[in-house]
Amino acid sequence: MERYSVQRAMIEFKNVHKWFGDLHVLKDINLEVAQAEVMVVCGPSGSGKSTLIRSINRLEPIQKGELVVDAMKVHDPKTNMTKLRAEIGFVFQQFNLYPHMTALQNVTLAPMKVRKIARKEADDMGRYSLEKVGLGDKLHQYPAQLSGGQQQRVAIARGLCMRPKIMLFDEPTSALDPEMINEVLEVMRNLAREGMTMIVVTHEMGFAREVSHRVAFMDFGELTEIAPPGEFFSHPKSERTKLFLSKILTH
Amino acid sequence: MWGFYIEQLMHSLPFFLKGLWMTIAVSGISLVVGTLLGFLWGIIRSSQNRTLKALVGAWVDIIRGTPFLVQVFIIFFILPEFGIQLEAFPAAVIALTNLAACFICEIVVAGIQAVPWGQREAAISTGLNWYQQLRNVIMPQAMRVILPPLVGQYVLLIKDSSVVSAIGVVDVTRVGWLTVQRVPQGLLVFGLVALLYFIICYPLIQLSNSLEKRMSSGYTRGKV
Repeated sequence: MERYSVQRAMIEFKNVHKWFGDLHVLKDINLEVAQAEVMVVCGPSGSGKSTLIRSINRLEPIQKGELVVDAMKVHDPKTNMTKLRAEIGFVFQQFNLYPHMTALQNVTLAPMKVRKIARKEADDMGRYSLEKVGLGDKLHQYPAQLSGGQQQRVAIARGLCMRPKIMLFDEPTSALDPEMINEVLEVMRNLAREGMTMIVVTHEMGFAREVSHRVAFMDFGELTEIAPPGEFFSHPKSERTKLFLSKILTH
Repeated sequence: MWGFYIEQLMHSLPFFLKGLWMTIAVSGISLVVGTLLGFLWGIIRSSQNRTLKALVGAWVDIIRGTPFLVQVFIIFFILPEFGIQLEAFPAAVIALTNLAACFICEIVVAGIQAVPWGQREAAISTGLNWYQQLRNVIMPQAMRVILPPLVGQYVLLIKDSSVVSAIGVVDVTRVGWLTVQRVPQGLLVFGLVALLYFIICYPLIQLSNSLEKRMSSGYTRGKV
């Protein structure tokens, strides 16, 4: 579990800033995430957590600072993002599955179009990815025929099917009914065990405690505290973190 | 009396069928080219290119905000003043194609906007380029919104094609005008004209209705 400290940085924020108009949403972010590290980001809503991970594949461009992902400069407008995005799986709160495609078609689209893999091989990869998230029997179902938890697992498989180096999760369980949260977290746990580099924005503190290497607390666009989960939960440094944890852990 | 007129009308039937053929030719060409152009313009209006967007937007507004008859007159009577001489048929086709493209452009824009932004973000995140996003993710979903009003628009455009009779294109409406001078039974003559339009339009109306029903049901029933 301590591997991350000796590995090279997979994701590196250096003095990163972002504004939405007048609103300063990312304030001087400095963060390194190592290969095979699992980092959980938590914080009150509107604190900039989503913007932080969405900036990693430039769904949100940053305006100042340096952001290097897998040795590619995301802050540089000339960087070919298509290539980098193929290396980063992104899982959304609302799943965003393609409703007009079956589960298998959802996961094989990008491998065929972006990686130019032949349909037959892509289908094999897709089947493997879906089996991995426990949906080997749902290959030909449309998203509307699946439960929320199953849809989110298809979404994870869609990311995995690109054989990514990094997986980003933006509140992956927030839109799910409580009884479906665990099946999604279980898939994420397995990924973490296999050494996937992951950043997870979530309020699932059990997951953070059990799986993550470090937990980051974000507040008003600033990363105010980053610590291993044991330390983060037992000895939070700032008052804001304590307040946040007391709210989120008691309910 | 009526029998006599009907018999006379029957003699003119080949003439009517020629007119019908002209109506089909003018509308057919305009709808096909107008659809292609309308999709192109609609996609441009939904893109990030501000200059092109504004240009297409302004043009569509101008065309939608002026009478079609006036547009036809401008192309047929006024362009020659600037040295662009056109026969009635190409002038009619150009005017109707442009009109079709403008209305279809608006339908396509609405269809693209109806696709949730998250769909595009998902496509972007997996590394699909702009064209791949459009082709594989956005348009297949937008088509469900676009198809029913598109076919409905075809009906309107086919009926609008009657306007081109004003510059001498011998379509069904023009045939009606010419026939009524020999067979002074307006009700009968234009009843036949109306019937011929209806014969073309009715199946399209039915198609639009059934598309509406099919598209509004969920995605599980299969493909578009």
